[in-house]
Amino acid sequence: MQEKANEMIKIFIDKEPVEAEQGTTVLKAAERAGIHIPHLCYHPAFPPEGSCRMCLVEIEGFPKLELACSTVVKDEMKISAKSERVVKARKAVLEFLLAEHPLDCPICDKAGDCKLQDYYDEYGLFESQFKEAKEKREKKLKIGKSLILDQERCVLCTRCVRFLKEVTTTQDLGVFHRGVHSSVNIYEGAAVENNYSGNLAEICPVGAITDEDFRFKTRSWFLKEGESICPLCSRGCNILIEYHPGFPRFEVPKRVYRIKARENPEVNDFWVCDRGRYGYSYLDEHRADKIIMNKIEGENVLTWENISEYLGEKIKRLSSAKKTSGIALILHTWLSNEELFLLHKIFKDDLKVEKIFFADLPQGEADGYLLTSETSPNRRGAQEIGFDIKPVDLDALASGTDFLLAFGPFLSGLFSPKDLKAALNTVKRKVLFSSYTHELNSLFDIVLPVALIAEKEGSLTNVEGKVQGFQPALEPPGESLPEWKVLSDLGKELGIDSKFYSELPSPEAILIEMGKKIPFFKKKND
Amino acid sequence: MSPEFSEKTKKKIEEIVARYPQKEAAILPVLHITQQEFGSISAEEEKLVARILGIKPISVREIVTFYTMLSRESLGKYHIQVCSNLSCSLLGAGNFVDYLVEKLGIEPGETTPDKKFTLSTVECLGACERAPCMLINFNYYGEMDPKKVDEILDGLK
Repeated sequence: MQEKANEMIKIFIDKEPVEAEQGTTVLKAAERAGIHIPHLCYHPAFPPEGSCRMCLVEIEGFPKLELACSTVVKDEMKISAKSERVVKARKAVLEFLLAEHPLDCPICDKAGDCKLQDYYDEYGLFESQFKEAKEKREKKLKIGKSLILDQERCVLCTRCVRFLKEVTTTQDLGVFHRGVHSSVNIYEGAAVENNYSGNLAEICPVGAITDEDFRFKTRSWFLKEGESICPLCSRGCNILIEYHPGFPRFEVPKRVYRIKARENPEVNDFWVCDRGRYGYSYLDEHRADKIIMNKIEGENVLTWENISEYLGEKIKRLSSAKKTSGIALILHTWLSNEELFLLHKIFKDDLKVEKIFFADLPQGEADGYLLTSETSPNRRGAQEIGFDIKPVDLDALASGTDFLLAFGPFLSGLFSPKDLKAALNTVKRKVLFSSYTHELNSLFDIVLPVALIAEKEGSLTNVEGKVQGFQPALEPPGESLPEWKVLSDLGKELGIDSKFYSELPSPEAILIEMGKKIPFFKKKND
Repeated sequence: MSPEFSEKTKKKIEEIVARYPQKEAAILPVLHITQQEFGSISAEEEKLVARILGIKPISVREIVTFYTMLSRESLGKYHIQVCSNLSCSLLGAGNFVDYLVEKLGIEPGETTPDKKFTLSTVECLGACERAPCMLINFNYYGEMDPKKVDEILDGLK
């Protein structure tokens, strides 16, 4: 099969020659050539179903119209994807699909996201010939944790049924009855309660399955999307973050409204788990947006311009007195490869700091599919860079630490506030890089607000060792900056190996440097 | 109390299941047997069949609700199924159903209080040449009219 997969043949779509892989379908070949053939039931994750009939095309030599989703291409096949006959047939199919559809788009949460609506706009715009009353069905059936099923809007494409059969194998939904009475439903007493339920609302091509988490909070056309990587476990699922850019004279309550899966066959296919999908509140809630100076000698006012100078001076003073043993670091593995690499270079290689701890969220439970037990996204990266991932030892921290640089908000979850306060009180100077306004912040002299993964550039190494780059999807709030910027400035400021730091204008450049030093990170640049 | 098949039926089901490469493929004959044994296929019977065939109850439900010959409600002793499709309708199936409704005092889909008759309208029975036609349990009756149906029903005990 693999041999065949690479053999290319020539077909014609609307008289244009198109290269197609041997054995592929007309629909896939067209998609590859940038030609969209309308479809509702076909989804690339599943074998063709052929139930919606929207993808009809005309093929020379075939007496009837054929389904693009299930017809395999042949050499020299001549396909018309928008001939008069095809358009007429699609119109007819749409009319039948809409015969039982309630047409309640104004109050439908999927309006703007709905393929039926798009196709009606493209092919329909007709008055329905049906005078018969429509069937009454359930319109607000709760079928799972946060899923609502409207059977009237359903076009019976069975994407949801097939997803639950083939991906989760839980078979929570079925098609009951026959003909005009057919409807998707759950078995009584059961519900869609797996960790991938949220994907159903995403793959439903119409307004049948909607998500309570998103329903009626905003309209989808107000939202913009940015690509990112989910940091809530170590799988590194590719995601789209949908955020509201705001209105000119009206404040919206939050930025991020929804997370969607972004296709990546090597990592997460077309899916994202419910933890990743619904756990986005960390992007908006309790965010720090200003530099906080709790304790600082003299009249210094710290800004991002002079922060590296300030930190550099403290470190240099310890370093020149040969007292780098008084420096301690608390890191976490939400930091990118580049940031961890800079930290390793500055503190471990150049300054020979020994007290380096990691404070992460405690391990969770894996679900056997995408969700891993590791709750932070870049532990593997930290290991590959050469860190020995040691948990925080408060006693070691409390003995003879002059200067502590801590990252992340996770420290507070690991120790009681009393123990933490006692240990930190023994440290002379302490600086925290955190994205959150948190009680923990009051224990540090200076708190620097930093960007989250969704707001910066860099790369992460997932549990399988795959290095994935990401770009900012959102603006960091207020004065927040990404850690890599501060760290590369600090490296420059310290003056050790200064040439190295002077040529690091971006995470991309840092990753290239990393590739030269650590073979593991080289493959990404090949 | 969940239902169980009799030992004899169990053996019969085993025989049927053995004919197919996959257990699941035996579902239709097994459902017919279930209906014969219990009179109807309610949720409890669905679960029983699902357990025997190693599938989920929801898959059984999909099939039970698809086929009109399988019933989730318990039926009367005689299940009268009148075709309401094109040929039969053209030859007066509508009036014929009205006559039955009046005679039996029940609407299509209902069972008489004495549990003797259940009336249903169904799609094509594949006997257009004898339209209008009906089924009583597994027996065909063609070219129906009120007089004929009186005779047939009076003959049923």
